[in-house]
Amino acid sequence: MSKTHPSHDAPQGKRLGLLAQFAGPEELVAAAEKATDAGYQRVEAFSPFPVLGIDEALKNPRTILPYVVLMLGLSGMCIALLMQCYMNGMEFPGAPWGLSGYDFLISGKPSFSIPAFIPVTFEVIILLSAFGAFFGMILLNGLPKLSNPLFRSERFAAATDDGFFLFVEASDPKFAEAETEAFLSSLGGSGIEGIDEPVTGHAVPGFLYLVGAAVATLALLPPMYLWATSGTTSTVPRISFFKDMENQPKVKPQTTFALFKDGRGMRVAVPGTVARGGLKDDAKLYFGYEPEDGFVGGPRRIEAMLASYSVQPVADGPDADGADSATPPAADQPKEENWVTEFPVKVTKELMERGQQRFNIHCAVCHGLDGGGMGLVTKRALELEQGTWTQPTSVHAESVVEQPVGKLFNTISNGVRKMPGYKEHIAVEDRWAIVLYLRAIQRSQLATADDLPKDKLIELSNLN
Amino acid sequence: MATADITAGVSGKLGSVPEPWIDPPWVEGDNDYKSVTEKVCRISENPRPPLAWFVSFVIAASVAGMFGAMIGYLIITGVGVWGNQNAVAWGFPIVNFVFWVGIGHAGTLISAILFLFRQHWRTSINRFAEAMTIFAVVCAGTFPGIHVGRVWFAYWLFPYPDTRLNMWSQFRSPLLWDVFAVSTYATVSVLFWYMGMIPDLATLRDRAVHPIRRFAYGLLSLGWTGSSSQWLIYEKAYTLLAALATPLVLSVHTIVSFDFAVSQLPGWHTTIFPPYFVAGAIFSGFGMVLTLMVPARQWFGLKDIVTTRHIELMCKVITATGTMVGFAYLTEFFIAWYGGNPYEQFAFMNRAFGPQAWAYWTMISCNVISPQLFWFGAIRRNMLLVFIISIFVNIGMWFERFVIILSLERAFLPGSWQSFVPTWIDLGMLVGSFGLFFTLFLLFCRFLPIVAMSEVKHVMAYVDGKAKKAH
Ligand code: HEC
Repeated sequence: MSKTHPSHDAPQGKRLGLLAQFAGPEELVAAAEKATDAGYQRVEAFSPFPVLGIDEALKNPRTILPYVVLMLGLSGMCIALLMQCYMNGMEFPGAPWGLSGYDFLISGKPSFSIPAFIPVTFEVIILLSAFGAFFGMILLNGLPKLSNPLFRSERFAAATDDGFFLFVEASDPKFAEAETEAFLSSLGGSGIEGIDEPVTGHAVPGFLYLVGAAVATLALLPPMYLWATSGTTSTVPRISFFKDMENQPKVKPQTTFALFKDGRGMRVAVPGTVARGGLKDDAKLYFGYEPEDGFVGGPRRIEAMLASYSVQPVADGPDADGADSATPPAADQPKEENWVTEFPVKVTKELMERGQQRFNIHCAVCHGLDGGGMGLVTKRALELEQGTWTQPTSVHAESVVEQPVGKLFNTISNGVRKMPGYKEHIAVEDRWAIVLYLRAIQRSQLATADDLPKDKLIELSNLN
Repeated sequence: MATADITAGVSGKLGSVPEPWIDPPWVEGDNDYKSVTEKVCRISENPRPPLAWFVSFVIAASVAGMFGAMIGYLIITGVGVWGNQNAVAWGFPIVNFVFWVGIGHAGTLISAILFLFRQHWRTSINRFAEAMTIFAVVCAGTFPGIHVGRVWFAYWLFPYPDTRLNMWSQFRSPLLWDVFAVSTYATVSVLFWYMGMIPDLATLRDRAVHPIRRFAYGLLSLGWTGSSSQWLIYEKAYTLLAALATPLVLSVHTIVSFDFAVSQLPGWHTTIFPPYFVAGAIFSGFGMVLTLMVPARQWFGLKDIVTTRHIELMCKVITATGTMVGFAYLTEFFIAWYGGNPYEQFAFMNRAFGPQAWAYWTMISCNVISPQLFWFGAIRRNMLLVFIISIFVNIGMWFERFVIILSLERAFLPGSWQSFVPTWIDLGMLVGSFGLFFTLFLLFCRFLPIVAMSEVKHVMAYVDGKAKKAH
């Protein structure tokens, strides 16, 4: 038996089996056949290339690999189709983590364009099947298995070169050291060698796995943090590796720029520019007065506008939208009889309601909800005894009640004495709506008995 | 049992030595299993590789370095460094992409399709061709990656949940199909290549003397022992991968051709594109295999394993596919005339006789005329001529893609015509991609088994009939 022991003196573990070498593939198949015929069940053959007929000789079972591949291929098909239908054919707005789907029309194809989804489906089927074949092979073969008692046999290195080996495991019911050895040499096996369980060697200490897992988890944190911050709103600037277009070398509003003589970054409009919707050719509507020459809006105003451009120095030229800020020049201030007396917009219930709403938003703070002049700001100013505060005129004062609508409109637009103008804040139609509402609250305070309907009058006299 | 394995077609011959003058052996000379191992492993074990290797490596690596520097310049400056413009929005980057992807086809074709057809001659060259595939796909993938402009957003190509935009990729676009096709192809090629290499890596592991080599090859070979049950599953997996890679390889260039064919441009919008692209891909791939194989078998002393007969067979494939490509060129003209679409007719007249006709005729002479020389046996056996013609094939196939892209110069509106002029960055990147390719390839030759030893031994045993006389 001594010749089957490896030469070195290291302590030996349990006997695992006997290894015998054969001359070539034919001899290997013949020997394997005889071994299984003789009743050995746990026999394995090793060769540098696949040997024909060895599987029949050793009665190796079939492999389930093809079914693994089939299943993965089928699931690849389902995954790819569902993925594409979900990503391109459905939409769940507001779904978290960007999973909302994205249903959009392109090149006239329907949301679920199955023919257009085929190429990707095909590729995913192949990809998953290939994973099945490759990783299936690895796993079914029990790989990776970097340590193997057989590798301790020097002779066995030839198994990947030109050696053909048969290995009978000690766990085989028919295994008996001496008989099996004799049997193998009777088959033509040479260099018969016992393979023992290794007792020396090092294992990876268990805590290292824990450390590894912890380091891997920690390493995930920075990218996760970046990913999380990139998708959420925040008061501090976003951290981004690539600045992308966040900083652009351009002049921003309200900044200086040395290239121009006046040093301003923002440019004034070229004289004569009329912004879209800025022509304002209907003076009654936009300014609340009827021009003297009888034209509605028109030439006079445009002339005035152009004149205003030509006289103003560039350094403090008109605002960018020019037309809007151009007030009729003082000399042009309309005469009393020129104020519009009729509403230039259609008077409706909706306009009245809109007017109420706008008045309560824009005017009531000073003038009070009833227009009497005791708004919250006014009350507070009086409480603090602010000397500079001018109390707003009551809109019920006779001087106001008598004013034509055009003049009220002008007051809102351009302000009056201490009151600022509101045309930048309130659209033209809304200003007219407020004028309409002003008329309504004036009427509410100065109503006479004649204004009430008959039945209400009777009701009132009954109360008395 | 072995119905699907490589030798199913020849198992009847087992043990009968074929008559050498009818069917000469695939492995020439007085070789046995051991000498094959020796010859192949020596290449990566030799502490001093041939001087030619060093010279080539230094040149290739510096060109690859230049490529890297140019990519850096591109990223910092923007895509304006290329000659791409409004009319020819797809310039060199897409030409290079299609060129390299095409080259990448031969590897899988040789490995998978020839495997399924039981073409035993593939065993000597398949590893080589597969490696070439992978490196070509690496080069190919670089170009769309940098063509997107803001390279750091290249991940936008893949579908992923975007919390800011709430948008998903557009699955009805051939450009997206391309992303899936090329990345699947790259992945499957790597798996196929690596799986084929596992037994040979085990051979290198068992021969390794230096502990670092032993450790590295030991890790890579995953503990392969070559037991019959491992071989059983391995062969099944290999056959399945080959069966999967075959439709894959055809689909990849088909989808690449969709990038063009699905658009509405005259000269692009044709149904002939998929088959014509696939034939062209095989053609160019075989051209590149020859370009690499002819010098490599010389330098690495592999003439017994990669025989003149192997080279001749590859030349024949080149003639066949080159003729198919030529036929496709003719068909395009025929359809332009027969289809009666004036824009299509103009596109083709412009190709052949327009301002860039030189590119067209370069393509025709390299792709259609030069492979016809391989009809002559003397030329097929003259390694220098084979090498030169294979380079012509490479040039011609690059020009084919260039010619296709030039269709953009003159589309429907003469008002938006614009001639394409490449910048020096364009040219530098084309050269640079070759540097990258050869660097990777030379590293492969140095450190990995460049011939599939286990497969060659199998063919020796069962096809050349050495099983009996093995010692
Ligand atoms: C910032 C407080 C304030 C707001 C807001 C305000 N006003 Fe006035 N308003 C005044 C003051 C102050 C006066 C009196 C100015 C003066 O006499 O110097 C006044 C005067 C008036 C007058 C009388 C003009 C005249 O000819 O005597 C009217 C009409 C008027 N406001 C309407 C409005 C309307 C309509 C709004 C809403 C669009 C409004 N005000 C918003 C402070 C305000």
